[in-house]
Amino acid sequence: MSRALATRRRRPRGTAGIAEALLWLGPALILILGIVVDPAVALVGTSFGTYSITGLRKGDAGFQNYIAFLTSPDLGKVVWNTTVWVGVVVAMTILLSLGLAQFLSKEFFGRRFVRWAVIVPWAAALVISSQLFRLMYDYYHGIINGLLLWLGVIHKPIDWLGNPALIMPSMITVGIFVSMPFTAYLFVAGLNAIPGDLYEAARIDGARPSQIYRRITLPLLRPAILIGVVLNMIYVFNSFPIIWILNGSNPGFGNDTLITYMYKIAFKSAQHDVGMSAAAGIFNVILILIAVAIYLRFTNWRRRDES
Amino acid sequence: MTSPVVAMPRRRYARRARGWKNARRFVLPIAGLGVMAFFLWPYIVMLFDALRPSGEVLATPPTFFPKTWTGSAFVQVITDPAFQNWLKTSLIVAVCATVIVMVVAIPAAYFTARFSFRGRMIFLGLVVVTQMFAPTSLVVGIYREFYDLGLVNSYTALILTDAAFNIAFALWILQGFFAAIPKDVEEAAELDGCGRLGTLFRIMLPLTLPGLVTAVTFTFIAAWNEYVVALTLIQDDALKPLTVGINSYVTAYQQNWSQLFAASLIAIVPVVILFALIEKHLVGGMTAGAIK
Amino acid sequence: MKKSLRLGAVVAAAALASMALASCGSPSNSSAAGVSSIKVVIAEYSKDHTAKFWKAFATKYEKTSGVKLDLQIINWNDLDQQSSTMVQTGNPPDILNENAYASYAADGLLYSADEVLPAATKADIIPAFVKSGTYQGKFYGMPDLSSARALFYNKDLFAAAGIAKAPTTWDEFTADAKKVNALGGGVVGYAQPLGPEEAQAELAIWLFNNGGDFKKNGKWTLNSPENVKTLEFMKGLSVTDKVTQNNPGSTNRTDGAFPLFEQGKAGMIVGFGPLQSALDTQFTSVNYGIAPMPTGDNAAPQTYGVTDYLMSFKKKGNQDAVKAFYKLYYSPDEVNSWIKAEGFLPVTTSGLASFASDPKLKVYLDTLPNIHLTPTDDPEWDKIGQTIKQNIGLAVAPGGDVKKFLDDLQAQAEAGK
Repeated sequence: MSRALATRRRRPRGTAGIAEALLWLGPALILILGIVVDPAVALVGTSFGTYSITGLRKGDAGFQNYIAFLTSPDLGKVVWNTTVWVGVVVAMTILLSLGLAQFLSKEFFGRRFVRWAVIVPWAAALVISSQLFRLMYDYYHGIINGLLLWLGVIHKPIDWLGNPALIMPSMITVGIFVSMPFTAYLFVAGLNAIPGDLYEAARIDGARPSQIYRRITLPLLRPAILIGVVLNMIYVFNSFPIIWILNGSNPGFGNDTLITYMYKIAFKSAQHDVGMSAAAGIFNVILILIAVAIYLRFTNWRRRDES
Repeated sequence: MTSPVVAMPRRRYARRARGWKNARRFVLPIAGLGVMAFFLWPYIVMLFDALRPSGEVLATPPTFFPKTWTGSAFVQVITDPAFQNWLKTSLIVAVCATVIVMVVAIPAAYFTARFSFRGRMIFLGLVVVTQMFAPTSLVVGIYREFYDLGLVNSYTALILTDAAFNIAFALWILQGFFAAIPKDVEEAAELDGCGRLGTLFRIMLPLTLPGLVTAVTFTFIAAWNEYVVALTLIQDDALKPLTVGINSYVTAYQQNWSQLFAASLIAIVPVVILFALIEKHLVGGMTAGAIK
Repeated sequence: MKKSLRLGAVVAAAALASMALASCGSPSNSSAAGVSSIKVVIAEYSKDHTAKFWKAFATKYEKTSGVKLDLQIINWNDLDQQSSTMVQTGNPPDILNENAYASYAADGLLYSADEVLPAATKADIIPAFVKSGTYQGKFYGMPDLSSARALFYNKDLFAAAGIAKAPTTWDEFTADAKKVNALGGGVVGYAQPLGPEEAQAELAIWLFNNGGDFKKNGKWTLNSPENVKTLEFMKGLSVTDKVTQNNPGSTNRTDGAFPLFEQGKAGMIVGFGPLQSALDTQFTSVNYGIAPMPTGDNAAPQTYGVTDYLMSFKKKGNQDAVKAFYKLYYSPDEVNSWIKAEGFLPVTTSGLASFASDPKLKVYLDTLPNIHLTPTDDPEWDKIGQTIKQNIGLAVAPGGDVKKFLDDLQAQAEAGK
């Protein structure tokens, strides 16, 4: 065990010059710089412009868009919603996916079919899954209420999407459901990267399953968990369809997260202002950066995981 | 590889282990059925909605099984030339984007995992930060860019955008897998006379198969389900991908719910097939005991 | 040396791959400035008819004008965002189909009718639509089709509740709704969609039938006493009378209110052509009638109407091509056959005559010349309408404040002036 672990600890990396680096990284860099960075810079430009409702640029706004956004009365609620949405969805997704990944890594009859089934919520377009859940949650024609009524659990339908106390939990449930497959497969891959001889060694040493899990599996899964948390944070932050569609019939901004609020500012509100929406977009990125930085700091990733 | 959970110390847990070993032959598949049901049930609801007349989808009170069974939605969707075009676009775009991502991400991941160079952290940081911008807020810039290039309304625009947005994930996960391969494996290969590229493709890549499978699946699905960029960049009905095209089934004035769901279910199939083809490689790679 | 050669090969391969892909992509249109092609952005009304009509139209247009027509059909949900993207990048279409035009006119982006609409065509358009398409004395928003709203009621439910005829006053309306609601079995008296999808329409039709309006004599009257009374009445339907479906402020039209009526679970609803065609084709078990709206002020019923617009953007050299577009579009064979296919109402006097033979449309056609529209000729309405959609649901919720909602609207409108 110790031998194998030792070889897995920090390995010295070779060094290379900039020119060689550019050769290896060049194509990736060109695509990213060309296609992602350029529009991002354009977004910054938009956030400093005054725009007509039609999208026509009327002039420079200075920081007016940022001021207008940061002083909008709904911002506090929206940031709170975003925090709850991201926090709960990511935490639950990671925890549940760890269990699911363990299960999917076991050998058993029919495992292949289970794996195919788990991929389905991931493979389905998020817009469609959201639309589907919207119908299933419906007060009148939703199958969830239909089922609960039929079972006699409730006697009156539940307004899953219209009741302010229930809408966020309803959306979070869907968020976790659709995030789990991706995360679980990330962990399955991570689990399979752990050399079998480590487990063998541990078994010979007489370690219990729980000890093996805590001492071997979890530490060696750390890189995968790190990727899983960070990527899920980013994707859940920017997840649009679930909230847009499930919250689609509710008035106001009381259940919006930043990403849907941003869209409403641009096209579905009194402001109807793409400049202010761009400012909101920049704010959103900064918030994600902060959240990721806090997480990385919290987990001390550089010291322990730099490899 | 035997599962770690059965690995209990022989003396104390021998009997229990044997009992479990027998029981797990039944327990695990049954639990598997439960997991399958959990992840599939919304899509079973979707299937039943696709198999009823459109007007029954929003029936009050709802019924789980269709009152009238009909496969007409599936027939209409499959025989719809528009749908066939959308499917074609989605396939071309997702396959091409996935290929590009792998071609550019594998060398980059290998290199960043194996070498330190000036700007390495900046590069990795840049890759992550690009993921943080919501595509919704970038479409205006993307549209301008491709308009200037004369590529609006082309597959190329979608392929390049999908590729660029998904490099980060592939790069990240592959980087982790490359980094986990013991140095001695690589050194042995180099001593055997493999060049750096040969080492990468013949020795290293097979060891990262689980990561590669995950990266391919991820990229393919992301490209397959991309919506807002395709909506913005594609004009012609015939060039739209599925996600954009199937909007047509439910508009403000005419709702064909069963066709929408039939089309959506058909759209899931290619992804599941792709995954079924590469799924077995999720196991393997390093567990084969490469160190020995 | 050997090593770097191989490295070069990788890069070259990657570059080749992307170039190969570039060539495997579809041909992109050059859309050169000038008159060789025009870009036409159309809203998708239905899958069955919109693309079909416009593709055939494009072929005819190309034949008659010699100009290529690049068609882009966009669903209503994404249309605002897409048109904004085009304008933001300085690349508006030549023709845009939207439900608002005044802001574009105010930004000076559009041709007026004098520049692109043949005089005979303009004379044929129903005056009410010319008026709503006119901003600051010039006609910019050409109507593509129209619809009118009326009260739909379920005859079977009415009979079961012992109601002989459709209500004509608000008192009768409430009484009838209560009777239907009392039938039980999940049936509601009135299906009231006040969610963000299209709430301004529901508000408008009730306002208009109580002597109210959004704007009177060029002044905003959003918080007029009659408007406050109307919205109080609308709120009362759910909060005190309890004759509506659950939570009207969170109910959209398409997937909330309409399905209830289509399933025979609602006694009354405000409906229009597309609902009617759904009832006639998909939900044939619903035995429905159509009546003018009941009124709150004992005046003659007002018909609330909607028209969407075709507007044309000033771009270098496209004036003749745009003119040819309108000329062909408003030829009776084109405009009327499309409107018929989509189940909407005509926008031209000649269209009125051509539709008159359809008895099912009589109830609407008679009202069309006096149709009551929202103030789409005021750019400020483009924002007011959004605010109504987004916030009215909060005002009609049990704890909501109707008066404050309308006061805020009025303040917003006046501040915009």
